[in-house]
Amino acid sequence: MTTPQISIRNLCVDYITADGDVRAVNNVSFDIGKGEVFGLAGESGCGKSTVAFSLMRLHKPPAYISGGEVLFDDGNGAKDIMKYSDGEMGIFRWSEMSMVFQSAMNALNPVIPIVDQFTDVIMRHTDKNKYEAVKRAEQLLQIVDIHPNRLSDYPHQFSGGMRQRLVIAIALALNPKLIIMDEPTTALDVVVQREILQKIYALKEEFGFSILFITHDLSLMVEFSDRIGIMYSGELIEVAAAKDILESPYHPYTHGLGSSFPSLTGPKAELKGIPGNPLNLLDLPQGCRFQARCERVTDICRRKATQLRDVQAGHLSNCHLAVGGQPIAIVETEAVAV
Amino acid sequence: MGFFLRRLSFYFIALLFAATLNFIIPRAMPGDPVTMMFANATTQVTPERIAAMKELLGFVDGPLYEQFFIYIKSVLSWELGTSVQFYPLSVNSVLGNAFGWSLFLAGSAVLLSFTLGSVLGIFAAWRRGSKFDTIFSPGMLAVQSVPQVVIAMILMFTFAIGLGWFPTGNAYTPGLTPDWTSWTFLKDVAYHAVLPLIAASIVQVGGFLINMRNNMINLLAEDYITMAKGKGLSENRVVFNYAARNAMLPSVTALSMALGMAIGGQMIVEIIFNYPGLGTVLLNAINARDYQVLQGQLLVMTLFMLFFNLLADMLYVVLDPRLRKGA
Amino acid sequence: MKGLIKLLSNNPKALFGCSILFIFIFMAVFAPLITGHVPDKRTGKPHEYPGAIVKMAQASPDGWVAQNLADDKRKMLMSKKADHVLGTTRMGRDVWAQVAYGARVSLAVGFGAGIVVCFLATVVGISAGYFGGRVDDILSAAMNIMLVIPQYPLLFVLAAFIGEAGPLTIALIIGMTSWAWGARVIRAQTMSLREKEFVKAAEVLGESRIRIIFIEILPNLISIVGASFIGSVSYAIVTEATISFLGLGDPGTISWGIMLYNVQTSSAILIGAWWELLAPCLALSTLAIGLSMLNFAVDEIANPQLRSNKGMKRWEKMAKKDKESRTPHTAVPSFAGVKDLAGGEK
Repeated sequence: MTTPQISIRNLCVDYITADGDVRAVNNVSFDIGKGEVFGLAGESGCGKSTVAFSLMRLHKPPAYISGGEVLFDDGNGAKDIMKYSDGEMGIFRWSEMSMVFQSAMNALNPVIPIVDQFTDVIMRHTDKNKYEAVKRAEQLLQIVDIHPNRLSDYPHQFSGGMRQRLVIAIALALNPKLIIMDEPTTALDVVVQREILQKIYALKEEFGFSILFITHDLSLMVEFSDRIGIMYSGELIEVAAAKDILESPYHPYTHGLGSSFPSLTGPKAELKGIPGNPLNLLDLPQGCRFQARCERVTDICRRKATQLRDVQAGHLSNCHLAVGGQPIAIVETEAVAV
Repeated sequence: MGFFLRRLSFYFIALLFAATLNFIIPRAMPGDPVTMMFANATTQVTPERIAAMKELLGFVDGPLYEQFFIYIKSVLSWELGTSVQFYPLSVNSVLGNAFGWSLFLAGSAVLLSFTLGSVLGIFAAWRRGSKFDTIFSPGMLAVQSVPQVVIAMILMFTFAIGLGWFPTGNAYTPGLTPDWTSWTFLKDVAYHAVLPLIAASIVQVGGFLINMRNNMINLLAEDYITMAKGKGLSENRVVFNYAARNAMLPSVTALSMALGMAIGGQMIVEIIFNYPGLGTVLLNAINARDYQVLQGQLLVMTLFMLFFNLLADMLYVVLDPRLRKGA
Repeated sequence: MKGLIKLLSNNPKALFGCSILFIFIFMAVFAPLITGHVPDKRTGKPHEYPGAIVKMAQASPDGWVAQNLADDKRKMLMSKKADHVLGTTRMGRDVWAQVAYGARVSLAVGFGAGIVVCFLATVVGISAGYFGGRVDDILSAAMNIMLVIPQYPLLFVLAAFIGEAGPLTIALIIGMTSWAWGARVIRAQTMSLREKEFVKAAEVLGESRIRIIFIEILPNLISIVGASFIGSVSYAIVTEATISFLGLGDPGTISWGIMLYNVQTSSAILIGAWWELLAPCLALSTLAIGLSMLNFAVDEIANPQLRSNKGMKRWEKMAKKDKESRTPHTAVPSFAGVKDLAGGEK
């Protein structure tokens, strides 16, 4: 069994405010294998972007990483990147792990031409000279199907889809082992979205990097990822293979997410959403964080804190009712077509 | 290109407006303007001169709009009239020489304070909350609010009179013949320019500093800064090529705004240091009630302002690729 | 209102600015009570030294004060009585009294002009921003032209034509020439407010435009209008002093600017009567700095991003501790080594 590409153990991120510390990410642990696409899904504000930024230690104040390890296999064994000094981090960033941002227009520097945005990172991390770096940039543009003669243009001169491909090309520049993609297609229309995702998948197959794919669009993620983790209120509540997560969810929240989508095929059924509102992190209840909105809430849910554990091979859940039990969906008769 | 044409036509309209103001102000005062003009003059005026002046200014018998056209015509052909105190020198020649000195002082002061202020502002924003920032930023703001008069007088008193390190006035030692090719003359000019330059710049540094600092602070939240850090780029590169380069754009806008105040404030410096710029000319004209020079002054200074504004516009286009046309 | 007071009292800059302002207001209002002499009559010998200096020099004739500050024997003789706190001017008038009574003029002109500017800027700015269309075109053109014409020269030309301008006149002409900047800012803010939903809702409900302006829009502009007001007051005080200094004011009034004018015309600097220069300079600077601190504070309160807060300080401390605890495993090279970008490893 090969070591995972990245192994996140008990990651905790707090927000430091004048009124006290708010735990926005609570003991999140998961692995991503080499060449695997891991999807991280959840509502707005559940903490998935915070996790993503924290992995690269790009989190902005008042966010503060208060605990946990992130073990990254850079070819010479697994190292905890949380312990890297600023200098080591500067080397690690982009060459081992890079990131694709949500809004490409905002992620690109508007006042310097595209070629410089490639060459600066290439020349920073390698010993290539300007000429060689430009050659590499041209190569990268071709990989994402953009004509190399556009290198001297500025970001505002590209269309939305092209900009996203540019950002992906820059992310690939140093052949990283893991690419974090934070909602890479949310700002695009569905047609372009599909093209981009197909491209990303093809690149992954060719170059063999892992992907941490973050989105709130669950159905998209199910198609694209190998495994999926669902986050709620700063905790990872379920992790499973993509096709299992909606077919046989082991957590009421996941089940609720699945049944929030109307199916394209099959008979019309009434949509069930998830009632209630997201938690106020300053006012956390004892026990499970989902209790206020859960249909199946029991006494133990209100008392005992939850923990993510195996309920089946390769399937984890933190619901108290999931242990040794049946997946939540089997109780309903109407399965969701994915 | 269209951008420039629009700016130029706007500036032209502004110039006409200034000329119109010049036209209206004396006529808005009670009494016969021309006689009133000369009533307070400290030099003798012959009736012929009065008549000539009236004709030039358009104070002829005739409907108001006719007078206005005559006046505007004289403005556009740059016949600003004759000076009363330096008769028969034309206003043009009186102002022309002074214009050069003012441009020298204003240009250097703006350049110096913009550069210094922006660099310090970048540093203050990057090290926000540090000792440097908490002391320097409000400190410079305090310095900036001290009136120009006060700063100039204190500088003069301390360094020129008290310590005697610098001359108390003039652009060059009186009696020296200006010789722009001579190194000694240039050094003399520079020596005389030190105190006025410091006085003119100090007031402006704070403004540029705070402006750049605030721009940078707003900017540091942008995604491309995060991505630049994520790329592992050196701190220098992130600060200068990614952050400062973008923060400069609104700073340049502030530059053109600041110029208006700079010219006015610089007048005070010129007067106190007896620097032969437009400011000193203005004061003398006021005392001698040389209205011709006064009015010509307003036009020239407006022109000054417009020139600097146009410069700032051009700079903006150079700096922001989004304003350039074509791919 | 209570919230505003709380915000202000938490902000050291605001406290500083407010206290300075109140000190000067107190000085202006109670001038007759806190000065021993009248400001406009000859109450002492010309160019007497300040009282404290005289006493110090008399006490130790070989001390530093006597040698450096009070070194003019003739003046020392004249100031024997030492009953002028800040000395006297060339005309033998009490400097301290002039400062105290001068505060009245400066504050009056400052607030007067400030109100005029504020009023004009608000009316023009809101009209241009809210009504849009032709109204906006005309008003914006007016604003831009006023901004491009240099203010000080225009003021001086106006003042010169008017002759000896009293404080009221000065306040008026300052007010009429300085509204453009504030108007621009208010216009921009009004335009963005106009698009907000609560305004659109009020329009749909059929509320009259005047009502919308006063009830929906104006309250949201308070912070900008407030900051602009403080800025205008500060600007007006300084400008009045400058105009008077140039000799365009009414020499009969007592203001800090006139004091500076007297210093310039009587060549007090060359004679070495530094206190006559220092007093109005200090007064002007202190008031200007205080007002500008207040301005800064109002800016900070209005724009939360500029605020520094306690949470951040704690964050920085924690981040610094972490940074120090992370020591590099080995010497850190300048780059990660040659990476074969074609897909292989080093």
